[in-house]
Amino acid sequence: MQHLFGSPDGPVEVTLTKDGNEFVLEGARAMLTSRSQLKIQLPDGTTELAHVAKVGDAWWVHLRGHTFRWERIEPGSTSADEGGGLVAPMPGKVLEVLVSPGQQVKAGDALMVLEAMKMEHRIVASTDGVVAAVHFAAGEQVMQGASLLELEESN
Amino acid sequence: MNREEVCNIKVLVANRGEIACRILRACIEAGHPTVAVYAGNDADSMFVEMADEAVLLMGDTIGETYLDQRQIIEAARSTGATAIHPGFGFLSERADFATAVLEAGLTWVGPSPQAIEKMGDKMTARQTMREAGVPVIPGEEVEEEDETAALEALRQASTRVGYPLLLKASSGGGGKGMRAVHDPADFDQAAAGARREAVAAFGDGRIYIERLLSGSKHIEIQVLADQKGRTVHLGERECSVQRRHQKVFEEAPGPTMTPELRDAMGQAAIAAAKAVDYVGAGTVEFLLAPSGEFFFLEMNTRIQVEHPVTELVTGVDIVREQLRIAQGEPMSCGDLMLRGHAIEVRLYAEDAANGFLPAIGPLAVFRPPEGPGIRLDTGVREGDEVTPNYDPMLAKLIVWAPSRPEALQKMRRALEEFVVLGTTTNLRFLRELCDEEAVVSGATTTTTIDDLWPNGWSPSPSRLLEDASLLAASAAEQFGLHRRSASTGQTTGEVAPNPFITLQRRYP
Repeated sequence: MQHLFGSPDGPVEVTLTKDGNEFVLEGARAMLTSRSQLKIQLPDGTTELAHVAKVGDAWWVHLRGHTFRWERIEPGSTSADEGGGLVAPMPGKVLEVLVSPGQQVKAGDALMVLEAMKMEHRIVASTDGVVAAVHFAAGEQVMQGASLLELEESN
Repeated sequence: MNREEVCNIKVLVANRGEIACRILRACIEAGHPTVAVYAGNDADSMFVEMADEAVLLMGDTIGETYLDQRQIIEAARSTGATAIHPGFGFLSERADFATAVLEAGLTWVGPSPQAIEKMGDKMTARQTMREAGVPVIPGEEVEEEDETAALEALRQASTRVGYPLLLKASSGGGGKGMRAVHDPADFDQAAAGARREAVAAFGDGRIYIERLLSGSKHIEIQVLADQKGRTVHLGERECSVQRRHQKVFEEAPGPTMTPELRDAMGQAAIAAAKAVDYVGAGTVEFLLAPSGEFFFLEMNTRIQVEHPVTELVTGVDIVREQLRIAQGEPMSCGDLMLRGHAIEVRLYAEDAANGFLPAIGPLAVFRPPEGPGIRLDTGVREGDEVTPNYDPMLAKLIVWAPSRPEALQKMRRALEEFVVLGTTTNLRFLRELCDEEAVVSGATTTTTIDDLWPNGWSPSPSRLLEDASLLAASAAEQFGLHRRSASTGQTTGEVAPNPFITLQRRYP
């Protein structure tokens, strides 16, 4: 997983590796807490919560008393979670999967039911399309921001 | 009906931002009804929400809004406000405004127009102080109006004052119309420049000369005077650490202060206040030379930005006292008692690594530190936009601890905890300032920042931390954290339609 950022000294390329639910870079690990906060474990084993916010294309990161601003350079092609990706707005549990890959859906159709913060939430199709992939089954836990299903928009 | 109800003033706050919030809170606590006035671009600001009533000032520029005396007095009339608190800046030191407020039959929360006038004109103030026996910085005033004659008189005065020297505008403030001259060869050009700047900024080209006292500390004494004839001082604040003549780090008590010197400076400040029949809260600023001599700099006839450090070490609520005094009541504070140590830093939206240039942007995250001994005075909150319309000061972070070393430790911790994302701030600069030897030892002077970073400051995160921040940015993208639009209202623009918006209505 490659990410490109602009910096005053030129572009910086970052290649993450995935290890379970964590991302790894140069011995440092990134994970989400149960409250969907970004936690960074530094190579020395100490951990720190990172505060992040995306403004325009830039990620602002506050880590251990320092603030960084990394301007993200978007790759030429669209990434998986652009456009048709449907993501979990908060951490929770999948209660029901209402569609299967290949199925035709209309905008507004319910695709999945999540339970989060003691409430049921339906994931609905944002456009007409065909279900390209379903990433979770009923009973599985999902993290905030996790891509739940892929929808191929039909024009 | 009890007496309290009879004299309960309704206060219009003729200011904005954090100081408006500070004053409004004091009014709410004291049970005074409140009125805010605001420019159109402040409609969603915190201080407008905080007031009981708010009146829109018509106009686009500051001159047409916060400086429009007629509109503000009219707002007081239309809302039935009976008093006006000017805060600092804007109209706070305008004798003509104080006069207009009084003539409108309103209570002015501040000193008399005469006191404002005498202290506002720096040359008059120096003369008044000399007569009152308050030491002033060696120098000369030149009253000459004609430009050629004035420049000639200044040149002659410069040889008597000696070098290095400082040229200052009589109507000056904020570093405008001010020039330091180290070499007589530069004098003519500097004097002409200072005069031009003073004419442009204040419409008054009168310049005076002071000897430049290098290595000096900026020490100021808070005074309070009520209408019952009592004038007290509340000890000193040291505000030596300045960048471009603006204070960034202030503390009380002064780290090198002695009880004897405090008493001498306190008495001089009281004499200064009494010389102009001062009423209300005011600040007498002094330069403290390495020799231990102190000299009158100027008197600010209003509440000061850094008043909280005095409040924390004296236990006096200065704004509440202002309100009491304005109503003709005696001030409530007793004898001066200092306890512990307080430090304030000014959080600015500015790029400290780029000549302290003002910055703008959204406050996508604004998460101030918490815990014992921490006070935050601000007029912004998360989701607000920092615009170029007003002063870039976002907040004042103030800490109190039993001792100075502990106060510095607390400030370091608080600054590390403070998260502001979306707009560049001087947070890291302030944090690293707390580690500098001059600050740790208290040997700060008005040139400390320039001495420490002659070529400008830049942050110095470790390579390790920088890499970790890149990991955080990449992982945040990967985890889709930017879709969490609820906490950062600013980022929704480019986010895909949220399938939950309607559903949250269905499942409340």
